[in-house]
Amino acid sequence: MITPIEAGLLVFIVATAVMTALLRDVLAAIIVFGGYSLGMAILWIVLQAPDVGLTEAAVGAGVMTVLFLATIARTTRLTGLEATTVDVNLPAAALCVVFVLAVLTTVPALPAVGAGPGENPAFGEISEYYVEEAYDDTHVENVVTAVLVAYRGFDTFGEATVVFAAGVGVLAVLRRGVFE
Amino acid sequence: MIDVGESTLLLAGAVGTVLVSVLLLGRAMIGPTMQDRVIALNVIGSNAVIVIALLAAAFAEPAFLDIALVYALLNFLMSVAISKFTVERGGVL
Repeated sequence: MITPIEAGLLVFIVATAVMTALLRDVLAAIIVFGGYSLGMAILWIVLQAPDVGLTEAAVGAGVMTVLFLATIARTTRLTGLEATTVDVNLPAAALCVVFVLAVLTTVPALPAVGAGPGENPAFGEISEYYVEEAYDDTHVENVVTAVLVAYRGFDTFGEATVVFAAGVGVLAVLRRGVFE
Repeated sequence: MIDVGESTLLLAGAVGTVLVSVLLLGRAMIGPTMQDRVIALNVIGSNAVIVIALLAAAFAEPAFLDIALVYALLNFLMSVAISKFTVERGGVL
């Protein structure tokens, strides 16, 4: 069910995620978060989604690292800390473990991807219509791209507008210079 | 076409490289200096390129190699950005 490479990557991803939360120095947390993005993107490639992996690499590892660095350059970063990790709030950690266990018990009970229409309400005749008719309707070979840019064209246009506005906002903030 | 034995071997190599990355996280965790962490992340990024190249060969999908190329460039960018930040405070790129 779960291949060795998936298991190794999951160990790597969970370890980096926990370290990002626990490391006291923000710069160290940013570095480890870059490792998290790298592991996540390899997992996307293992799951045969190279386009998502490429986006994760560019956004997670590239843009986010630089944005975080620009943020701590313009705020304060505590240096010379004695402790490497933050103190863990034990009740909150226990609550997180309980939540993870609850998710682990409920998710496997969901119908499998590709199950019949009667068992899986999310995989019915609508998705079959897209798979069968997407090329005739839009003349785009990739079904995912066809849905994104043709069937949901206005939705994607709105997303692009939001991303553009966010980029302009970030540039406007960064151009104001460092407050002394 | 690659036969089953060869692709299993390539996948085993990818698994080993991932395990090495997990060990490298220990260096990123304890540090003690920020340079240690940057180099640990750089090696993890290089391992990521190797894993993707091995997976591209194992799945017989040459298109994955493009992603490995993007990774190699991004890995360099990340290391330079963080190194420059540690040397001259506030200077990112």
